Amino acid sequence: MIALVPIRHGVLPAGGEETVAECDGIALFAGSGVADLQLDGIATSAHLVELGEVEFGRWAAALPAVLDAITGGVPTSVVLPHSPDGRDLAPRLAASLDVPLLAGATSVTPHRVRLARRGGLELHEHHPTGAFVATLQPGVRGAQHFDRGVTVTVHDVTASPTIQCHDVHVVEVLPPDVRTMDLSEARRIIGGGAGLDSEARFAQLDAFAEQIGGLMGATRVITDRGWVHHDRQIGTTGVVVDPVLYLSFGVSGAVQHTSGLGAPDHIISVNTDPHCPMMAMSDLAIVSDANATLDALQGLIAVQPPDVETS
Amino acid sequence: MTITVCWKWVAIGDDSDIEDARWAGVSAADEAALELGLELEPFHGDVTVVCVGPAAADSALRDALAAGARRAVRIDSGIQMESRSVADAIAVQAASSDLVICGDYSLDRGTGSVPAFLAHELGVAQALGLVELERSTGSTGDLRGLRRLDGGRREVLDITAPVVLSVEGSVRRLRRSSLAAALHAKSAAIDVVVSPADSVPGTTPVLVAPYRPRARALPAPAGSVLTRVREILDVGGHHGASGEALELTPSEAAERIVDQLRRWGYVEADSHTTALRQDAGTDAPR
Amino acid sequence: MTVDVDVVIVGAGPAGACAATVLARAGHSVVLLERGAFPGAKNMYGGVVYPRILDQLHPQWWEEAPVQRWVTRRSTMILTDDQALTVDFRSGKWGRPPYNGATAYRPDWDHWLAGKAEADGAQLVCSTTATGLLRNERGQVVGVTTDRPDGDLTARLVIACDGVNSFLAKEAGLYGEVDASNYTLGVKETIALPKDVIDQRFAVRDREGVDIEILGGTSGVNGGGFVYTNLDTVSVGVVLKLPKLAAQQRRPEEIIATLKHHPAIAPLVEGGEIKEYSAHVIPEAGLAMMPKMTGDGLLVAGDAAAMCLAAGIWLEGVNFAMASGMYAGEAAVEALRANDTSTAGLAGYERRLGDTFVLRDHRKLRRAPSLVLSDRVQHLYPEMIANTVERMFRVDNPSPKPGLRRILNQERKRAGVKLKDLARDGLDGFRTYG
Ligand SMILES: Cc1cc2nc3c(=O)[nH]c(=O)nc-3n(C[C@H](O)[C@H](O)[C@H](O)COP(=O)(O)OP(=O)(O)OC[C@H]3O[C@@H](n4cnc5c(N)ncnc54)[C@H](O)[C@@H]3O)c2cc1C
Ligand SMILES: Cc1cc2nc3c(=O)[nH]c(=O)nc-3n(C[C@H](O)[C@H](O)[C@H](O)COP(=O)(O)OP(=O)(O)OC[C@H]3O[C@@H](n4cnc5c(N)ncnc54)[C@H](O)[C@@H]3O)c2cc1C
Ligand SMILES: Nc1ncnc2c1ncn2[C@@H]1O[C@H](COP(=O)(O)O)[C@@H](O)[C@H]1O
Repeated sequence: MIALVPIRHGVLPAGGEETVAECDGIALFAGSGVADLQLDGIATSAHLVELGEVEFGRWAAALPAVLDAITGGVPTSVVLPHSPDGRDLAPRLAASLDVPLLAGATSVTPHRVRLARRGGLELHEHHPTGAFVATLQPGVRGAQHFDRGVTVTVHDVTASPTIQCHDVHVVEVLPPDVRTMDLSEARRIIGGGAGLDSEARFAQLDAFAEQIGGLMGATRVITDRGWVHHDRQIGTTGVVVDPVLYLSFGVSGAVQHTSGLGAPDHIISVNTDPHCPMMAMSDLAIVSDANATLDALQGLIAVQPPDVETS
Repeated sequence: MTITVCWKWVAIGDDSDIEDARWAGVSAADEAALELGLELEPFHGDVTVVCVGPAAADSALRDALAAGARRAVRIDSGIQMESRSVADAIAVQAASSDLVICGDYSLDRGTGSVPAFLAHELGVAQALGLVELERSTGSTGDLRGLRRLDGGRREVLDITAPVVLSVEGSVRRLRRSSLAAALHAKSAAIDVVVSPADSVPGTTPVLVAPYRPRARALPAPAGSVLTRVREILDVGGHHGASGEALELTPSEAAERIVDQLRRWGYVEADSHTTALRQDAGTDAPR
Repeated sequence: MTVDVDVVIVGAGPAGACAATVLARAGHSVVLLERGAFPGAKNMYGGVVYPRILDQLHPQWWEEAPVQRWVTRRSTMILTDDQALTVDFRSGKWGRPPYNGATAYRPDWDHWLAGKAEADGAQLVCSTTATGLLRNERGQVVGVTTDRPDGDLTARLVIACDGVNSFLAKEAGLYGEVDASNYTLGVKETIALPKDVIDQRFAVRDREGVDIEILGGTSGVNGGGFVYTNLDTVSVGVVLKLPKLAAQQRRPEEIIATLKHHPAIAPLVEGGEIKEYSAHVIPEAGLAMMPKMTGDGLLVAGDAAAMCLAAGIWLEGVNFAMASGMYAGEAAVEALRANDTSTAGLAGYERRLGDTFVLRDHRKLRRAPSLVLSDRVQHLYPEMIANTVERMFRVDNPSPKPGLRRILNQERKRAGVKLKDLARDGLDGFRTYG
């Protein structure tokens, strides 16, 4: 197995290091600015190929030859991070290599791949018999530090005949929005999910968050409904946060959500399903209606005297 | 020139059946895709909605027709097909489209791979996971899109057809169809195409189980000796989550939450107020 | 004037679906508007239907109706904090055609019934809310407005089957002053348990089911409770008098939680997973709150006309809704044929209601709601009765067994019940139910 890590301007994607660790340190770093990567400790056997700007069609057409050169033509499975770039490159690469795609895995070995399905509530285990392309969900395993040092091999695709592909053009990359910055740095976060029954609940959640000095976030299901702006979405395809305290109301704890949650010291969850993953990872797991609990909390908090700084 | 919008019919409940139209539907993202298609119709041609799915999906396709799609095609398939086979089947229908618009991921498989496979099969560009999409006002490209990257970054894309797009659900809200259109669509025709066999060998899971997180390797310790000691001694921390779930009434639940926040030191210990405690800078609960 | 359709029916609940079936079969063009994503999507109720009224519309309905269990066992329970007195009845006949009551889920039942109307030619449009009435210059109702773009729909007649608190009947001015004390709040939890566990706990097999109605057990809020069995879920709910609920500041889900912990109820429901929690308002006052049923170009049926019969041990609404919908449909066919949809032309509707169980049961039981929800029946009698029975069965040796009359008298005094009131309530009860 070899990790394939798409690189933008010398920056590793979310889940890049974990993917390399999953492949025991063997990796191909492909993209723009690969020469700038600091790979000691991250990989043991690193292959670099400079591909310029992200163009998925061209990349997918160029990469099979590079992989061939690395593996000497022996069919080898390729693992990419399920970051936005990995997710979008992997299917095209699988089609170019004509091997199956196993996307959104939580663990990958050559003969056993576990995939998160149904929005991360189910695990599907596959036992592949040949080479495949897989993507690994960021945040599921944690990175690993390799002490063995790293050998670096540089590959070149400029020599191969130019590949004609129609791709979209990147105009610019925008830094994280200030509106999402505060969430990613918040120490206390109150998250709401599909267990909350209306848009108004999120205003309530926001008010409660403010009461305890935190910020409100939501799951993908909620941002999709347009109840909350997508810059409040916590998770791998939203804002990756790292709070000390996380309170969840009606959140099932799908892997895409929890992978973006960091490692809070304290988690409290309110959910009607005692067995969902979010409850399993909580310090205080309360089986109750999240909506009514929120009302009750509002009652408790609302009776506060305005002067809260008394001690 | 035409536009193809891809709609996936998925079961919504935990144990619901996609043959039962009551408990199945399409995602917000797929609806957003149709709304974009309808908006772009004057510039890129009529909208056809394509679905690879069972007969129950016709009810969703009728909704699409009521909203303004010109044609609905259902590629008949009762089973969950491989993403690549789905894309191959759709590609046959979309061969003359210069815009193919999908949702960013389906609610059940949820890999977002069908749109990329489609781009490969059609040999066109892809711009996937868009959070904004507008017609281009400048001289370059047909469309201007904003694609979500990791770490909160986003990229601005110049998009020229032919292209496969996929969008998040928050991009647009599907318009409500008029009453006359809704009534009319009840008897509208849907083109049903016989499903081709899986074009790639299937990879069936050997085991399906509820999701359980995998053990995570922890990063090397950082911070003061004190935090380190705390981490080691911390049995209440989330790695050692108690696992017990308390069944409480909502008011008990609320009291328990406030009480717990107090015990952890996030709010003042004073029993009559839920005063906020903000230890400047650090948020050391103990 | 040309109209879009003959009849618009608002609301695809049991009332609307039956009205639509009758009209469509008579060859009229009918549009059935439903605000939910499908009929029954958000409709809730306790869980028992009495479908015999369907013998007329859908003979042999039991062969296809989406029934969970046939009620073959009916219990009435009186609860105090730690006592329970149960009167239990079982009938094998209720488990065979033509059956009596059945438990069913509303998303199944309403979907099935509306599907029958569609099969007969009615046009069902879901996710569409009627937002008002269209009237002509003479004030006659000539259609509805909806929340869809270009959403006006004109018709020769509108039938409002939009459920409790009918917005349309109110807009038409058919209701008098609305009084909160005419309503109760119904809340219900659906709890999942394996079928064989339910069979064992409730002592039934196959498709047999149980209906338990409860007096007391509502934490001091006037009302009642129920427990019904479905195939692999149990419904537990309470019906609570609205003003009392507000005055006591108790949350309905807390009252259910307390009921679930009662020693007589806990063994039935414990260990199950809560699948669903829902709440809905019930028109409770029966005859006393019914609106005018007929307007110029408008009929009102089902809960929209407050036809739910909530009289203590009876909680029936679906059968009244199906029947009144059917009669509204019949009256509408007559009126359309005579080309007169004015109030006079629609008189056949109220005549039918008056001649059948729909209004007769309501007249007969008109005192029941206030009696059953009265403070004495709610707060004094359960304790008195339970204590009396407890003493009757208690073996207090060496004391000899006291006589029943004496116990009853002592317990009555202890509960603070005046003999005069007891006699009056007894007579009332006898007149009502007798
Ligand atoms: C490629 C991809 C990327 C994704 N990225 C993200 C991401 O970045 N962030 C993200 O959040 N998701 C993401 N998702 C979606 C993710 O898979 C889940 O679908 C989503 O997180 C689920 O949100 P939820 O918990 O709100 O909803 P659900 O999974 O529907 O859970 C609702 C929960 O509420 C509980 N509940 C219901 N009623 C009540 C009640 N009355 N009181 C209390 N609890 C109640 C239920 O028991 C359930 O646990 C992504 C998915 C894919 C495929
Ligand atoms: C807790 C509880 C327990 C009950 N238990 C029982 C029981 O065990 N047995 C029994 O027989 N009855 C019971 N009932 C009563 C029963 O539910 C009702 O009497 C019955 O549903 C009435 O039927 P309906 O068709 O008149 O109205 P509904 O069933 O309320 O249907 C009205 C329909 O109209 C739709 N609608 C409303 N407004 C609009 C609008 N503006 N535009 C479009 N559509 C609209 C609604 O979505 C709904 O589908 C119970 C009720 C409650 C609340
Ligand atoms: N069976 C299908 N029929 C039509 N479109 C599909 C189908 N499966 C996936 N899609 C489209 O591809 C998008 C991403 O789905 P997926 O790749 O399954 O996550 C969906 O939002 C749809 O737009």
